[in-house]
Amino acid sequence: MPDGQLGGPGLPEGAPELPDAVDRPRVGTDEWVAQVEERREAGKGLTGLVARGWERVPAPGRLLLLLGPFAVFPFITNEGNLFRYGLITLIYALLALGLNIVVGFAGLLDLGYVAFFGFGAYLYGIMASGHSGHHLQAEIAIPIVVVASALVGLLLGLTSWRLLGDYLAIVTLFFLQAFVIFVNNANGGPSDFSYPFVGRVDLTGGANGLDRIDPLNFFGFKISTTEGYYFYTLIALALVMTMLYFVNSSRTGRAWRALREDPLAAEAMSTPVNRLKLLAFMFGAATAGFTGTIFGAVQSGAFPGDYDVGLLITIYAIVILGGLGSLGGVVIGALIVNGAPELLRSSANARFLFYGVLVLALLVAMRPWYRPLVVLVGTIAFGFAVHAIVGAAWSRGTAGHIEGGGALGRGLEHWVLLPTHPGRIAGWAYFGLIVAALALTMVRGWWRVLVLIPTLYLASFVWENKLVEQVSGATRLILLGALLVVIMNARPSGIFGTARVEVA
Amino acid sequence: MRKVVVAAALAAAVAVLATAAWGAAKAPKKASSPSNGGSALIKCGKTRLIGLMAPFTGPAASIGINQVHWANFYKNRYNKTHKKKIKFVNEDTMLGASNGTAEAVKGAQALGSNGSVLGVVGPAGSNEVKAVTGALKGSGLGFVSGSATNTTLTTDRTRTGFFFRTVPPDSSQSKSVSAYMVNTLKVKRVYIVDDQEAYSIGLADEVQAQLNAKGVRVSRDGVSQSQSDFSAIINKIPRNTQLVYLPWQLPPKGKAFGQQMKTLGRGGIKLMGSDGLFDPLFSGLGNHVYDSFFPVNPSDARVAAFKKSHGGKSELFGAPSYVAAQVVTGAIDRACKDGKATRAEVRRQIKRTSIAVKTSLLGLPVKFDRGGDMVKRPFGIYHSVKGIFVRVA
Amino acid sequence: MRSLFPPVDWSLFFGELVSGLTLGSIYALIALGYTMVYGILKLLNFAHGDVYMVGAFIAFFVLQWLGGPISPAVTGWLAIAIMFAVAMLGCGALGVGIERFAYRPLRNAPRIAPLISALGVSIFLQNSALLLWGPQFRDYNTFDLIGVKSYSIGKNFFISNIQILTIAASIGLMIVLTLLVSRTRAGKAMRATSFDREAAEMMGISVDRVISFTFFVGSALAAAGGVMFGIVFGQIFSLMGFTAGLKGFTAAVVGGIGSIPGAMLGGFLIGLTEAFSTGYLPGGSTYANLYVFALLIAMFLIRPSGLLGSPVIRKV
Repeated sequence: MPDGQLGGPGLPEGAPELPDAVDRPRVGTDEWVAQVEERREAGKGLTGLVARGWERVPAPGRLLLLLGPFAVFPFITNEGNLFRYGLITLIYALLALGLNIVVGFAGLLDLGYVAFFGFGAYLYGIMASGHSGHHLQAEIAIPIVVVASALVGLLLGLTSWRLLGDYLAIVTLFFLQAFVIFVNNANGGPSDFSYPFVGRVDLTGGANGLDRIDPLNFFGFKISTTEGYYFYTLIALALVMTMLYFVNSSRTGRAWRALREDPLAAEAMSTPVNRLKLLAFMFGAATAGFTGTIFGAVQSGAFPGDYDVGLLITIYAIVILGGLGSLGGVVIGALIVNGAPELLRSSANARFLFYGVLVLALLVAMRPWYRPLVVLVGTIAFGFAVHAIVGAAWSRGTAGHIEGGGALGRGLEHWVLLPTHPGRIAGWAYFGLIVAALALTMVRGWWRVLVLIPTLYLASFVWENKLVEQVSGATRLILLGALLVVIMNARPSGIFGTARVEVA
Repeated sequence: MRKVVVAAALAAAVAVLATAAWGAAKAPKKASSPSNGGSALIKCGKTRLIGLMAPFTGPAASIGINQVHWANFYKNRYNKTHKKKIKFVNEDTMLGASNGTAEAVKGAQALGSNGSVLGVVGPAGSNEVKAVTGALKGSGLGFVSGSATNTTLTTDRTRTGFFFRTVPPDSSQSKSVSAYMVNTLKVKRVYIVDDQEAYSIGLADEVQAQLNAKGVRVSRDGVSQSQSDFSAIINKIPRNTQLVYLPWQLPPKGKAFGQQMKTLGRGGIKLMGSDGLFDPLFSGLGNHVYDSFFPVNPSDARVAAFKKSHGGKSELFGAPSYVAAQVVTGAIDRACKDGKATRAEVRRQIKRTSIAVKTSLLGLPVKFDRGGDMVKRPFGIYHSVKGIFVRVA
Repeated sequence: MRSLFPPVDWSLFFGELVSGLTLGSIYALIALGYTMVYGILKLLNFAHGDVYMVGAFIAFFVLQWLGGPISPAVTGWLAIAIMFAVAMLGCGALGVGIERFAYRPLRNAPRIAPLISALGVSIFLQNSALLLWGPQFRDYNTFDLIGVKSYSIGKNFFISNIQILTIAASIGLMIVLTLLVSRTRAGKAMRATSFDREAAEMMGISVDRVISFTFFVGSALAAAGGVMFGIVFGQIFSLMGFTAGLKGFTAAVVGGIGSIPGAMLGGFLIGLTEAFSTGYLPGGSTYANLYVFALLIAMFLIRPSGLLGSPVIRKV
């Protein structure tokens, strides 16, 4: 946790906390208006420079800067990495763009979004796969999928006329559950419904999934390589981004923003609120359905487990991290949310990333400049001291080894405690770490430096003994969860978001 | 503060990109493109690389780790006695996890583009096998699974010559099971409860069809894997039902179902599980419990050795992965006789695998038929006697 | 001649009734926490389901600490009482902590912020449990602990002692809660805060303390639900919170969010819907969740404010 933002906005660094100052409802004060000074100040320092430079680049240039590196990526990497880091990131980014329309632009909390992604994959699979026996060309199938997704989006959007905020969230979440249950059973088997006119038909393959989906095939030109899909997705992403850029600055875009900022006021100004909501749902659903066709073709199959809440959380994390309402932010968000866990897959990489981010965060987050240095030096010294003391008193405590850690790993073996059977101790240390991290947010000034030193050491202890075991599983989701909480506390509208999104 | 967050995020993004590029630069370039179908010559060297795809983490990790243990057990035994070593390239498929089969495909892509990998053990789930087929086939890799039992995997001809398995398919299990129910237990009214997962539904469908064909009255219902309250469904089971069939994967769930049946006054009905429920937790319910299990020879010395090195647990569910590793390693050995091999060569050698009964952990010879199934694949039926499964058929 | 009405299968009917009430009482306990928090903060506390999961695990470890189900250090029923007490206190503290660190700083932020923060807490708790306690199922082994007995009244009515315990305990807890809210000073403060936070603060009520207290009570009730779940169904696992939380929230909405008797009613209604749709409708158990969903949609169409809720007036 980087800094004492929990102290609340508007409170100068290091000032003593007034009792209850943060929590007192500010009668008649608009949070957004009150922060205006602070936001104007945002242009200081290196980040400010970058931000202002970014603003000055014309829109096409920004697009090029953002997606250019992606275009180069295939030429410097192999196929496996291209798939893991490149293609999946692009697919997530495209998916997140669609969600950004619904949540970021129009401010509707849609928790059923990934159902449309699955809908696209399944519908494409039904029209073009060895499973169904139909083999439609992609140039016919994709428009059908996009239109059909938009129509289903329209139907779901109708609920938003009556339902607001949290209610809408829960209904859409149930919609997703219903979708998963449906595809899991619609195999014409004993537990399937009998449809009017056609009776029992195998639509989705049920729990066994719909496999042997055709590769995308435009006018007889077949995309068959990862590279092909990569460039296809990249072009689609660029097109969708451009389109959304224009939509966002059009009348509709402005009306969406009005709807997002204050639905009631928008309605009072005779904005066609209901129609706008439907439009947002349709745009979002169409984007997701379109992305679904890519994913179905890449994977040459669609399986019920692929379109569940886990993916929803990932996509939300991307949109929120990138900033609600920000188009470029989505790409950065996708890169972080997909790329970081992929790097975490190998524990050697994970170790570099973990300590690297820790040190970086410390250097950027702590002011003035000498404090992070004090903390770093203090932590290193603290670690060696602890290691020496424990090594003398309890030799089992330092007997463990780091496998395949390279030079960094060998160095760490002399610094961090590695008990031979860390199981239970590491569990308690994990609790301790959470408590210590929370305590950090409550102390200020030099006290924080003092608390930070053992906390950091504890963090590396827990990392080496517990978290590293499951880097690709639980750990990355734990980090994701913690990140969401921290970001919300530090910057409720996301990293690059400028929106003040209100669900009400 | 917000500046700091922006800066930290940008730093993280840069770090990701830099590490990815660095990793990419280190990785071997374009070892095999789909067009050559695995015909590139690979130097065998002192250490041969085999991909191991299994759910190391994720919801299925509790049984997936059995496979990892058994595969590594084979590796250690092999490396002790051979000069040329084998090494696994681990790819976590996170079976059942939130990202679905995408993780498996990522792993398959990574293995495909790692130019030194010669063959693959895994993946575990039938849907995973379907999802990775494209990627592995494209890079010419043969793959041998120790637990994907869906019948269509070998019959739909999409992966013939690439995919093999060391467990019998659902069709074998359902045949043994339904025959035992009808011929030995002589039941007339059966209730099948599946658990809504690919494995379970496939098996349940086949058993139901075969029982129906033999004139048994079958009712069918389903529960979800995350469900622990079965009372509503148990109430529905008529009291004159003679047998309840549970083709499930999670033994604790099987136990809970049996206990709740007792509470609701249906403790007398026979229970039959599938290979996923072959566990003391399930057999401990009482003498009314039956189960089926894939062929494995529990009295093999290797099982005892495994138990010794794994805290007394035999983790038999993972045993076919031992055989899968054995098959792939054997094929690589034969293909590498001249010091070089292609992936296609390894595939051909996998197909020619012939492990004699004496050296087979399964208690029967391992040979593959055209589709990639073992030629001999009988299923065993077990009956719980005093809490321990005893083979009866 | 076949009669127009087939004979009623009373065994099935009573069976589903009892199992619906058992399940419903657990849902009701979860729904109470949702409804209380929503009433005061207008916040959908996504992490509530995971607090319930943590409660079930705490009780499990307390049981292990007491010597396990086969040879507990104290008698079975006392062991259960201790499990309840520790889990409720522990989760109450957890709830207060979550509120203090994840929600309080966001009290004046746009409303989507605490919602996403809650989502983050939920993911965090779920995966921490996965990391620390593994993906496998844990078993309370209630059969060994208290000796489950099944009572029958007549030929068709079966009920077990643990089902009686669950239903009775949850109704007891609900009565205590109702008294707490309607009769005590703390309850009065809660009602006042829920009605108008600013006005309550001006009247000298410490809103922070009231909110902390609400989170404590709500989380403790969820923990009680978790322990009951473990006792009745035996199995607990780290991902059990999500679905249960969803059902609990649905119950709260159906009953009228913000209304305490409504949450109880909604909980029982959802439990009964699930049990009876499993028992009577085609493809019942597979589609039970869909039937619950249909109920929710129907409720929104007929009475958007829920069974016992008061209509929401939007203020400009």
